[in-house]
Amino acid sequence: MLPYALVSPLALFIVALALVPAGYTIVASFYKVQALDPPTRFSGLDNFRRLFRDTAVRESIGNTLIYVVIGVTLSTVLGIAMAVTLQHRFRGRSVLIAVLILPWALPGVVEGIVWTGIWDSNTGLLNSALNSLHIINHYQVFLGQHRLLTIFAIELVQVWQITPLSALLVLAALQNIPGDLYESGNLDGASAWAAFRRITLPLARPGIAIAMVQAVIATLNVFDQPYILNGAAPTGASLTMQTYFISFQNLDFGEGYALSLIITIATLVVSLGVVKLVYRPVEF
Amino acid sequence: MARNHWLRRFGILLILVWSLTPVYWAVNTSLQTDVQVASKPAHYLPPTPTLRNYRAVVSGGGDIPNAIRRSTVNIFIECGVATIITVALATLAAYAFARLRFRGSKILFFAVLATMAFPAYTTLIPLYKIMSTFGLVNTYTGIILVYVSGFLPLATWILHSYMSSLPLAIEEAGRVDGASRMQVLWHVVLPLAVPGIISTAIITFLFAWAQFLFPLVLSSDLSTQPLTVAIAALQGRHLVPFTLLSAAGVYAIAVPALIVVTLNRYIVSGLLSGSVK
Amino acid sequence: MTSIRRHPTTAVLAVGLACTGMIATACSGGGSSSGSSKTSGVTITVALATTPPPKASLDAFTASTGIKVTWTNTDWDSLQTKIAAAATAKTYFADATDVDWSRVGELGKLNWFYPMEKYIDTKSLTADMPQITSFTDAGHVVGIPYDASFLVTTVNKALFAKAGITTMPTTIADYTTDLQQIKAKSVVQYPLNIPFAAAEGLSTYWYQTTAAFGGTILDGAGKPQFATADSAGYKAAQWMVDALKNGLVPPGNINVADSQGQQTLMAKGTVASTFGDYSGNVGSLYDLPDSSSVVNQIVYLPTPGVSGTAPNMSNPDGIGIPKQAKYPAAAAKFIEWFTQAQNQADFAGVSGPDKVMTGYFLPSRLSGVSLLTQKGTLIAGAQLADMLKNSAKPVFPEGAPSWYPEFSRAVYTNLHAAATGSMSVADAIKAMSDTANKLSSGS
Repeated sequence: MLPYALVSPLALFIVALALVPAGYTIVASFYKVQALDPPTRFSGLDNFRRLFRDTAVRESIGNTLIYVVIGVTLSTVLGIAMAVTLQHRFRGRSVLIAVLILPWALPGVVEGIVWTGIWDSNTGLLNSALNSLHIINHYQVFLGQHRLLTIFAIELVQVWQITPLSALLVLAALQNIPGDLYESGNLDGASAWAAFRRITLPLARPGIAIAMVQAVIATLNVFDQPYILNGAAPTGASLTMQTYFISFQNLDFGEGYALSLIITIATLVVSLGVVKLVYRPVEF
Repeated sequence: MARNHWLRRFGILLILVWSLTPVYWAVNTSLQTDVQVASKPAHYLPPTPTLRNYRAVVSGGGDIPNAIRRSTVNIFIECGVATIITVALATLAAYAFARLRFRGSKILFFAVLATMAFPAYTTLIPLYKIMSTFGLVNTYTGIILVYVSGFLPLATWILHSYMSSLPLAIEEAGRVDGASRMQVLWHVVLPLAVPGIISTAIITFLFAWAQFLFPLVLSSDLSTQPLTVAIAALQGRHLVPFTLLSAAGVYAIAVPALIVVTLNRYIVSGLLSGSVK
Repeated sequence: MTSIRRHPTTAVLAVGLACTGMIATACSGGGSSSGSSKTSGVTITVALATTPPPKASLDAFTASTGIKVTWTNTDWDSLQTKIAAAATAKTYFADATDVDWSRVGELGKLNWFYPMEKYIDTKSLTADMPQITSFTDAGHVVGIPYDASFLVTTVNKALFAKAGITTMPTTIADYTTDLQQIKAKSVVQYPLNIPFAAAEGLSTYWYQTTAAFGGTILDGAGKPQFATADSAGYKAAQWMVDALKNGLVPPGNINVADSQGQQTLMAKGTVASTFGDYSGNVGSLYDLPDSSSVVNQIVYLPTPGVSGTAPNMSNPDGIGIPKQAKYPAAAAKFIEWFTQAQNQADFAGVSGPDKVMTGYFLPSRLSGVSLLTQKGTLIAGAQLADMLKNSAKPVFPEGAPSWYPEFSRAVYTNLHAAATGSMSVADAIKAMSDTANKLSSGS
């Protein structure tokens, strides 16, 4: 009986406060649940059909794809660069790791405040710095003007937050690479770049795959950053923002839930795709 | 490793600039006056550093400092208790999963991990209804229960990986001496698992500290609102200058930043223990 | 290892909340009231997006009624989320809370609030509290307006004077010319503040501009009145977008919301005028040396219309009693006290700073306003009182439609898109009127 006694508190929490609610809400997406049009009634795929007819939702699908592409690419590239920097021991390495994980540990609520101070078109750091360096001669508006620039600037904020974990995950994989592999590479006269391409990158694939998956999950569900920095503007509205508008402003909860179900499924599918593409088991 | 020294220097610079610039800028803003931050070009150092924004945030009897102080107490209670319960339950379960064979063990472990793959809202949202059914809205208990259910899977996983990596031999020696499983867990495994437990506790605490949405809806007023909710409320208000907002933001990140600076090796080992295999 | 960051958002939580609340219970919102009729020895929670009245005033209320008040000050957006969350899940969260003018139709239809006429003689109130009609839906009073906010044009007379303008404009054409002159004389680079961020403040600004051009937004049936190029709403949108294109509005305003615009642009003297500003901002923001560098420079301007003064759109704040209130009767007592003429005048400063409620400036009762103007304590009080009496008009004379939030979002996202140039004004107007048509025909 002992094992059951040990796991039962956990099981109770997971079943009562995670699995039951999840199943319950999945069912809801097949119902018409509109506060302004009661009562709740079964409606089959109606919620899903209406979603795909909604131009705002379609626009957000495009935006969200851009968020995912930019976010996953940037966080992975930066993560790898940072992990390689930290691969071998050097003085101050542990301090640098603390600096690295700092953005990851900060509450999202504060992120909005911090980055407003950078992007602002009147007093922002970026404008001031570019101006001081004579790269621009008058202050620019970074957010809201051009769709791609806006999405890039917004996504950079999220990348700031998720990159530390990517870097750590890649670093973990790098630490498993035996040092003598590089030694033998060296004997062949391989350059640093070649060593990176032939040894580091292939052997870090498991870590990179996991890092990319966490980035996919975060970026497909991006909400705070566009909402805080760009309002409801179509230039940056994400899919999760539409779930908010549909359910909380239109009070069409069934449709809102259907959309969040779609996002969940998309998250799982894309994550699995990334794993299939990138992940390769590594044996040393 | 001298051959790529300049590359490493570049990497070090990248990490420093990338991580610290935004935080530095918030600190810099918080030490200036309203008029100073409006200057073009901006002051890259506070010209006359002032703590008046911090005083306005935490001291005195006004509406804002009252809310900030009370919500600081709340966030410590909620994060602290949630961390203790999460780690305690996760330790028991992780030991069972790592060392004991029992029917349904695989399925249950998989189910626990699977809940991590869902975006939080698909699992945690209906909690509000459950909480209100049991009268737990706007109570510490309600918020703590939600935190525990949210963070248990990750905590269990980290501890499971950690315990699996401990050498079996010592435990077996304990068993041979006739100690019961519980005695082995208490006297042998727990002391060995202390670093893993600390990692898990720190990570859980940091996650709880960053929460905004659940406490926003689960708490109705200052009796339970954590600091993050109080700060978001400041942001939505008229007449709160950006300098003061920055001071409030810096205040809210002080604790997680301190934890990262002092305990980062535990965070790193905890976050990575599950991913290596 | 999968995602670790669990930072769900308001949005997402809300979605689920709602679903869970509603699946089983449909959502009539009504239900039998479980509230207690006790009116003494109880503690009620009042949740509003404003700071509380001074403690001494609340203590006096407690002393005379035996009702203790816990005040929760939440920002407006979060408060709306909580109201909806609590109502759908049928959960108590406050005994009295915000009823926004724009959500009266929606809240009335949802039946989330007690009809106020059950507790207060609202009929006899109407004469003294004209805006109560905006808070009535299908014969029921959803909330009691506790202040009398309306939109008003503010101008920085010092900056106008620097450009050689001493007579204030009375028509929108003159107003536009004056702004151009201020720009031409380089007094300020961008004289006009329009909050173009895709948020509620942009819709509000457009309603006020439409009123200036002599038109309305929707008719009684909810049909759009702004679809054709010669309509006021169309011209207003064109005027706003042109103002940005022609350099009258700071380019960065594409991402500036109303509160930011007032704080950082008007209050710092960066711009010379805000067309749809909030009444009371002169006293509560621009004349405070702590937050403003334009003290004593900002004045209210009667709305410059096509040919003379145009209406001011009213956007009063109301307070009502949600169905899940624990002590509805006690909450009603509080609302009655909170909206008394003398108390309102006190909050607005008639009896000195000790009784002032920060941010409160204009009573919803005419008798409260006259108490205030007699004393002359309100900044520009006589002018504001006159506007309130003679030119403040509801945005929707027939009451806000139940689908207002969806309509408003169409307004501000499309106007924002027109401002960024990603859409023409004609297309934006078409999208907005299509939305109104779709919603009003009850798709």
